[in-house]
Amino acid sequence: MSMRRGVGLAAFDNHERTAQQYSDLGSTILQTHISELTDQLLTFQTALKRFAKSHADEIRSDPVFRSEFVKMCSAIGVDPLASSSANKKGSFWAELLGRDVNDFFFELAVRIIEICRRTRDENGGLMLVEDVKARINSVPGRPPVSQEDIVRAVNTLAPLGHGFGIVRLAHKDFIRSVPQELNRDQAVAIEATQALGYISVEILRDNLRWETARCIAVLDDLVASGLVWVDEQARPKEYWTPSWIRP
Amino acid sequence: MSTSKSPTSTPSQSTSFPFPSIYSFPPFFTRQPNGQTWTSQLSLWNSLILAYCRYNRIWRIDLNTAIEWDLFNNRDINRSLKLETCREILDSMVKKGDAEWVPGSGSHAAKNASAIIYWRRPEEWANIIADWIDSTGQKNAILTLYEIAEGDLSLSQDFRGIDPTILRKALDVLIRRGQAQIMKSADGEEAGVKFFGNQ
Repeated sequence: MSMRRGVGLAAFDNHERTAQQYSDLGSTILQTHISELTDQLLTFQTALKRFAKSHADEIRSDPVFRSEFVKMCSAIGVDPLASSSANKKGSFWAELLGRDVNDFFFELAVRIIEICRRTRDENGGLMLVEDVKARINSVPGRPPVSQEDIVRAVNTLAPLGHGFGIVRLAHKDFIRSVPQELNRDQAVAIEATQALGYISVEILRDNLRWETARCIAVLDDLVASGLVWVDEQARPKEYWTPSWIRP
Repeated sequence: MSTSKSPTSTPSQSTSFPFPSIYSFPPFFTRQPNGQTWTSQLSLWNSLILAYCRYNRIWRIDLNTAIEWDLFNNRDINRSLKLETCREILDSMVKKGDAEWVPGSGSHAAKNASAIIYWRRPEEWANIIADWIDSTGQKNAILTLYEIAEGDLSLSQDFRGIDPTILRKALDVLIRRGQAQIMKSADGEEAGVKFFGNQ
């Protein structure tokens, strides 16, 4: 006779006992899982720590490895560039993985700020990432940085409110180091300078179909902001982007 | 190739001055209306003028003739610096101590404005001359200004052919430091300078 399928009141009694047994078993399994998980996490954490430490040099010196490392961190939900004072939950992992990455980008950000400060009078606070990169990499005795590194470093500065940001114009990345952002017309006009190095009232009028008054207004804006240099010996008068000055 | 005039003073190099890339930037020859842009333009011209004078061993700039030099005229891009802008730049160099107007030709005179260019400051020249006195064993020697600038012993020195006004200023520094003294002849005329060497 089957013991499993009880009939009537006996069946009901059996079900309760079975349920209790399952519940007990469930708790045990859960407990085992939790302790296994804890062990695994601990192992993982140790391995991660060791990994980060042993690759500190590579993070510092190899732009490709650095990029992959940062992407890996993002993929597992860790932002190694998060400041430790911000997100408390994320900072544990940032601390673990991010120290060398953090240091690297912090130092880079400082160098970028310094270069922008020194060139601000010349370019009005708008500089090609490529030119910043060339300046940084021209200093001997330091491993090279990539354009991606610079963009990342600038993006860490953005939330700090110093007016730093990346602006993409004519398929090129620029660093803006002044709080004033370009309005639409100014951005379009600067993009236009990237073709020949300069623009004029005529060039804007003919290519963008703007009225003369609008052309004059935007060019005056750009001069006032120090974003273009004027060439009065050109006929018609030309407005040049300082990004055209080669180092 | 530029066909503009070069200064008539003998260049010490067989190749012409290597102009920086800003020299090929057309707006560089226009006095910029924006104040901050002008500040950076001034600084660039200042450096360029000093470098050019150093390379070509030019001791003074006479505004009216120098304005024809290739320094201020880039034929390749057909751009020239205006006389007034050049004067503004020299004024700023004078304020910075990198140049000095020759007395009587000051910045407000309409013509003949001439400036001495200090691609080395008088203090630097003083140090170089003092070192040269020591290394050539000329301590206690009495030398005329001509001997210092044009004598055989200064042939390979940086101060070779130095402008007399600049030399005099350098010697004034040495005199103030007690490293040199003006010697006068019996009739009270200046005979030369006696050096005491580095102390």
